[in-house]
Amino acid sequence: MRITSFVFFLILSSMSAHAQIVGDMDETKLYAESKQVNQFFRRFNGEEDEKGNRYYPGDKQYRNIKLRKKYLGILFNESNTGMPAVLKTEFVKNVLDKSETSVLDFHGGNWFSEVHTVFTANGKDQPVTLFMTLEKDHLGSKWVIQKVYADMFAPYFVRDTLKVGRFLHPMSHELDFMNLRKAFVQTDSVAQFASKKFVPDHLSLFLYEVKKGTLKFKTVTDVKFHFFQLDGWYFELANFNRPGYNTGWLISNLVKLKNPVEKDVLRKYLYYETK
Amino acid sequence: MVNTRSTYSLLALLLLLATAPLFAQQAEISPQRKQAIDSLALEKVRDLSKYISIIGNKKTAYSEATRVMDRAEELFAPGSEMGVSSLNRKEVNYYKVRKYFERLMALNYDRVSIQWYDIHYISDLERQPDGRYVGVVTVYQRFEGTNDDGMKYKDTTKKDITIYVERKKTQVSGRTIEFWDVMLGDIRVTETSA
Repeated sequence: MRITSFVFFLILSSMSAHAQIVGDMDETKLYAESKQVNQFFRRFNGEEDEKGNRYYPGDKQYRNIKLRKKYLGILFNESNTGMPAVLKTEFVKNVLDKSETSVLDFHGGNWFSEVHTVFTANGKDQPVTLFMTLEKDHLGSKWVIQKVYADMFAPYFVRDTLKVGRFLHPMSHELDFMNLRKAFVQTDSVAQFASKKFVPDHLSLFLYEVKKGTLKFKTVTDVKFHFFQLDGWYFELANFNRPGYNTGWLISNLVKLKNPVEKDVLRKYLYYETK
Repeated sequence: MVNTRSTYSLLALLLLLATAPLFAQQAEISPQRKQAIDSLALEKVRDLSKYISIIGNKKTAYSEATRVMDRAEELFAPGSEMGVSSLNRKEVNYYKVRKYFERLMALNYDRVSIQWYDIHYISDLERQPDGRYVGVVTVYQRFEGTNDDGMKYKDTTKKDITIYVERKKTQVSGRTIEFWDVMLGDIRVTETSA
């Protein structure tokens, strides 16, 4: 697959009427690069030519299987040895076998973005991960924050549910819960009094802290995407800014999902959820 | 020195004006209309490229650079920003467009060369909640700054430029004519390894 991809890079570069080298400005690499997530979508689906001109339904080449096969060969991060060639081959075969249904849909749901940001709290930089998803609204759509994970919030929810620990005894109600006073004396162990089913919600805390003015946005450090759109598969999309032809938005991780349970486990893992 | 608008841009605008009644009632943008909008967007991006080259040129007089900055600012929607990062620094620094131009003008080089690659990429247009359409045009710029002592700095940056597409109305000889206008928005500037 690696050699085939390289050959396609060269074809892609040479086929372009514009590709040229001016001084030391080599445009061929820029043509090969998947320059936008939008271009990744179009290449994956076989919806554009080698110059990036869009094909529309009714065009002969629109979602053409041969075209898709060529593009799919160049859409993987070739440096990731954790993605075996055999797995990539199986994925590509699977996509092409079900070519009509195996297309990525911008508004199809089941994909989201993981945005690594830095906020400052009390003068200190704090990493905050935002999980963003597209949501329909009025006449169009918008990206919204679906979940948040922040290391700075995590210690406040740590608790050992295996130990007996501290608790409010089952007859506390008869005393108007007067023992709550003792429960709240030690703030470190207050999480032990929450239900086992309680799931920490960092988004609520995040919104509260931002509104209060404690957390202030500083910058975005990294963006990647997670796709669950194709039946039985998960892949991660990341940007590779490096020399060579294998650059831009590329599949950086690929997992074959055997059943919905695996999918659920993976999704929770990505969201830093433990339950 | 700075042209108001090229013939190409005018043709694209006329085409948009001519086809306006056909799509006045529909939300979807047809492939033909998309092509016309792309041309107009590219023309604005080319104008911006030209302005940046003039602002960055050390031979440009201060008064001329200021005038060009005014013109360049007119291409943008209010509040537009440039988000800049480099190969060594992933953190994005944010500048108001005007500030970015002023920093470009004040760069401490004796000679500055700004070239633009022929390549560009235009995304699909997506509709926002307010009904306006938004897309992204990607272009690449080559910068070279040289000092008299021989010190040289060069980089290639990828510029992902937001474009807002909006249907507007204007009065021509008492008649109301609808047309599609393109404004530039935030720009993400990334240093590349190219």
